[in-house]
Amino acid sequence: MRARVRPVAALLALLMVLVGCSAGSTATVSGDEDTLAVGFTAEPENFDFTTSDGTAIPQALLYNVYENLVKVGPDGELEPLLAKSWSISADRTVYDFRLQPDARFSNGARFTAADVKFSIERVPTEWAISLKSKMDVVDRVEVIAPDHARVVLKQPSNAWLFDMASRVGAMFSRTGVSDLANNPIGTGPYTVAERRRGDSIVLRANPDYWGTQPGYRTVVLKYIADPTSLNNALLSNEIDVIAQIAAPDSVPQFEADERFRVIQGTTNGEVVLAYNNARPPLDDARVRRALTMAVDRQALLETAWAGRGELIGSMVPPTDPWYEDLSTAYPHDPSKARELLARAGVRDLSLRLRIANLPYATAAAQVVASDLAQIGVQVTIDPLDFPAVWLDEVFTKHDYDMSIVQHVEPYDIVTFGDPDFYWGYDSPRVQRLLAQADSGSLQARNDKMREAARVLAEDAAANWLFLFPNVIAAKSEVTGLVPNQVSESFDLTGIRAAR
Amino acid sequence: MTTAAGRTRNASLLAGAVLVGLVVLIALVSFLWTPHDPLLVDASSRLLGPTGEHLLGTDKFGRDVFSQIMVGGRTTLYVGIVAVGLAALVGTPLGIMAGMSRGWLGEFVMRASDLVLAFPALLLAIMFGAVFGASTLTAMIAIGIATVPSFARMARSGTLQVMSSEYILAARTAGRSGWFIARRHVWPNISPLIIVQSSVSFAIAVLAEAALSFLGFGTRPPTPSWGRMLQESQELLAVEPRLVLVPGIAIALAVLGFNLLGDGLRDRFDPRLEVRR
Repeated sequence: MRARVRPVAALLALLMVLVGCSAGSTATVSGDEDTLAVGFTAEPENFDFTTSDGTAIPQALLYNVYENLVKVGPDGELEPLLAKSWSISADRTVYDFRLQPDARFSNGARFTAADVKFSIERVPTEWAISLKSKMDVVDRVEVIAPDHARVVLKQPSNAWLFDMASRVGAMFSRTGVSDLANNPIGTGPYTVAERRRGDSIVLRANPDYWGTQPGYRTVVLKYIADPTSLNNALLSNEIDVIAQIAAPDSVPQFEADERFRVIQGTTNGEVVLAYNNARPPLDDARVRRALTMAVDRQALLETAWAGRGELIGSMVPPTDPWYEDLSTAYPHDPSKARELLARAGVRDLSLRLRIANLPYATAAAQVVASDLAQIGVQVTIDPLDFPAVWLDEVFTKHDYDMSIVQHVEPYDIVTFGDPDFYWGYDSPRVQRLLAQADSGSLQARNDKMREAARVLAEDAAANWLFLFPNVIAAKSEVTGLVPNQVSESFDLTGIRAAR
Repeated sequence: MTTAAGRTRNASLLAGAVLVGLVVLIALVSFLWTPHDPLLVDASSRLLGPTGEHLLGTDKFGRDVFSQIMVGGRTTLYVGIVAVGLAALVGTPLGIMAGMSRGWLGEFVMRASDLVLAFPALLLAIMFGAVFGASTLTAMIAIGIATVPSFARMARSGTLQVMSSEYILAARTAGRSGWFIARRHVWPNISPLIIVQSSVSFAIAVLAEAALSFLGFGTRPPTPSWGRMLQESQELLAVEPRLVLVPGIAIALAVLGFNLLGDGLRDRFDPRLEVRR
């Protein structure tokens, strides 16, 4: 009989391990005064974001190893980086950048306007990821002087300069692109010293950096996929910072402990309950409004994500310049929702909620299902493997009624201007507003964007459940962490040790 | 047979029956009545401790944990019954066939069952979930398929034993067909073995369903399942350990119950133990 019990014991053991008794690996990297260890959940597969998708590579390298002409500051506004200053012509198509004269790449080469030309022109020809289309608007790049680069656009675009602060605007050395996947060469304050696949990346401060030296000489980026294990790593002194806590209910254990500090900021990540606007009865705005009103988003945020995050009412995070608070457009009102459904002639509605099988979506879906049951709408939750299956079924084939996923790209409101996007939202008015916003002056942009966001909210084109929070937990002596995660980078440059 | 040993046997049978009976009882009662709606999300009663109103408290969605455990028991039994039923219905005839025909057919069946046995059950279920979509049904079928070999082996070894007896020789001499022998002599003799095996396999199925739901390849939300309750409360381990303990204990007790029941039944039925008495 012993032989028959063994599989049971083995399964039980497996289950216990899965529940989170694992404490992570034993290698301790903290302890050294000059070393900072930061924990992340997703590891980059290589160092080449010009050919590999995903957020993990720019998160590690951008602003830290690679630098751009401009960068996104902590509150979402553009700041100078390799460009000391810039000016824009009256017709908004010619950009003149004055460059930092002392910047050097980590291979010793001097950074000049020729590298700007090289880097921008390389995007359409050498890059493989879909984001490269963001440089399609560039007509030509001119080298006026070693410290003066001029970029001419085909038509005015407000989005372009902002995109220059993202990965597509990273500056590469003309002599340093031979092995991007393993040997990234940039002008940043850090260089990649070592990579332990499946475990960590070690960054070392570049002694010849042109700007202010960073606070820590060595930074270890430690990758631990399981949120509970990541928490344990900080508790057991294995790391100094958790870049973003993925288990919000576990945050109080750090808040209650004076060894740690919890910093909460915002992100660009709108958690969206998408409606398939092209599929009846969801093509009827009254039905979408009813569903939106039926969901108690305040309660959803409190239960599904421990109340961390912000309520938003459209596809705009508060760090965007055209933000206005639309979160109260459709307050929770089940009886009005029932009435509205009845007026739209919809009875016995049954909808498929096909979600990404990620913790926030699974949690939010259960609240949505429970809330919609209150107005007589039956919801079947169908978790799809993310990203592969979700992308195929929902994003590509549009085979869904409702879905829940987080949209992290900055300025992703423009997706509502694309009728082929998986929202199935086809509004000529919104398309016109978004086009005008991109080509107009900054003030005109803000006005048009604000108007587009308002139309989307009024139309209930989707239900913006909440804005994903950026919750950082760090040892209390670590300062200078950026609370808001609004760029693609986990910016290490300002981090200091308070000693 | 000493009386002390006899009492132990009765004790494990009794304890097993009580635990299994308890699970069956709460699962059946949940069809008619639960203290609260197990699916109703209520932010105002989030993470409450045990009180008279909520016997085992509430989870992070404000749902009543006791009601969830009751309905979750239903999922557990449902998975166990279908998976074990499938395995027994397929595995037993295959085993009997393999035991009665000593030729290539029997060999083929046994080698095929070795092949399935060599494949980890959980991996098979995860593969099924990835291909056909994660649900209780795919989990049940995968667990069932993975359990077929244990029934086939059990049935075959029992059959071999029966086939070597003299009354089979007599039946054969009398010109009885294979079908008649299987029905009249083999099945009645090995059925206790199959019942015992069912109880043991049930325990494994319960655990496998919990593991699969924990990994997100089993029961879909919001249908309550003990494994998913574990998963959803995992991050609360340090803050609210009760939420992990309750479904954990439920799984442990159910598994223990089916194992004890299997042991107890074996001691009563197994003809091989009979000889030693």
